[in-house]
Amino acid sequence: MNIPDDLRYSVDHEWVRIDGTRVRVGITDYAQDALGDIVFVQLPVVGSEVAVGGPLGEVESTKSVSEIYAPLAGTVTAVNKALADGPEKINQDPYGDGWICEVELAPGTDPGTLLDPAAYGELTAG
Amino acid sequence: MVPFGGWEMPLSYPWGTVAEHRSCREGAVAFDVSHLGTVRIEGAGALAHLQLALSNDLRKISTGRAQYTHLLAEDGSVTDDIIVWWVDDQRFDVMPNASNTSRVMAAIGGHDVTAERAIIAVQGPQARHRLATVSAEAAAVHRFAVAPFVWKGAACLVAGTGYTGEDGLECAVPAEVAEEFWAAVQAAGVTPAGLGARDTLRLEAGLPLHGHELGPGITPLQAGLGWVVGWDKEEFTGRAALVEEKVAGPARRLRGLVAEGRQPLRDGAEVQSNGHMVGVVTSGNFSPMRERGIGLALVEADARLLDGDAITVVQRGREVPANLVRPPLWPVREEE
Repeated sequence: MNIPDDLRYSVDHEWVRIDGTRVRVGITDYAQDALGDIVFVQLPVVGSEVAVGGPLGEVESTKSVSEIYAPLAGTVTAVNKALADGPEKINQDPYGDGWICEVELAPGTDPGTLLDPAAYGELTAG
Repeated sequence: MVPFGGWEMPLSYPWGTVAEHRSCREGAVAFDVSHLGTVRIEGAGALAHLQLALSNDLRKISTGRAQYTHLLAEDGSVTDDIIVWWVDDQRFDVMPNASNTSRVMAAIGGHDVTAERAIIAVQGPQARHRLATVSAEAAAVHRFAVAPFVWKGAACLVAGTGYTGEDGLECAVPAEVAEEFWAAVQAAGVTPAGLGARDTLRLEAGLPLHGHELGPGITPLQAGLGWVVGWDKEEFTGRAALVEEKVAGPARRLRGLVAEGRQPLRDGAEVQSNGHMVGVVTSGNFSPMRERGIGLALVEADARLLDGDAITVVQRGREVPANLVRPPLWPVREEE
């Protein structure tokens, strides 16, 4: 299972790429593998505010529907529109072309509360 | 692997449900459907017994043919949907759904030979061509025909049946040679496919799944399967209830749904027309061929909706626009 060193992770299997006060969010390789073929993504609305653990869209595969939970609080500033016609990008490249949205963090939000790659590796081992 | 009716079955193989689905529409795939039951009924009274117990009329076919039929409850509900292989004059192999074998045996008797054989379904436009390199004998069997064949000295059976909407063959091989046969089919260029693709394929083809489109409270007439009822037979379980329903007209009918977008429709969702609930989705998913959400739904006759009419599917609080379409949902009909 691919767990890049330069990202942070939530227990709900989202990844976060931190760039100052803005983060890019997606679902992990582990999550896409467990879901199977992803055929539809309900993206969040740009401008919407999300709380930690709040809904940030849904990912649907041929076998199930999975909610995406906001790993950090903030405001959605961008969504990956390419997923509308190409949701399989999440299966093919979960940490790259398969990103889901970008969030401007709420003041005082500490990304350090998320798991580091080693801790996420332990969570998903076995 | 997932548990299914007491069996461990693969949901998908490494290439995934969508790729397996497309392989079946364009080439050929193999399913291990050994989980289907086989109940063998033999003897001079076998035909008469099955004619009384099952809905369809075996007089429409003859020895060496297969027939789709229902086991009904007295109220006309479909207890199980079944394929009967009429193997020879006094022998029938009756194939219920995995979880229904004991219920079917209680109604029709016979002995359970499920554990003695594996069933490998080879399906798709290339199925015959590929299977011919494994067994030319088996590959030559026509649609809905049943025939014996010998493979590596083992006595096998094949039927020109399936559950995908494609041409194909289902081979019953003795358990002792099952692994070798499965390997030979793959060596012939047929990729394996799992339960996930089996479900999306049958859904696109508009074929019912017991527990969804068929079951307690759902009759063959409601499921749009009046042709499974042998109306010319004077007696069979459930006949009186069906005759009554036929005269009155079924209160609801199974309809096909195609969403405007990609979002998969899901079973249990409400079907609404002009803000009123008119039905419920019985199966739903994503169609890999149409790249749209699709489904089957039981829709009230009183709603008087026509094929092509726009409806709304309400699932998880969101409205998904869709249209009623006469099944099958693949291939796309000209009138759509």
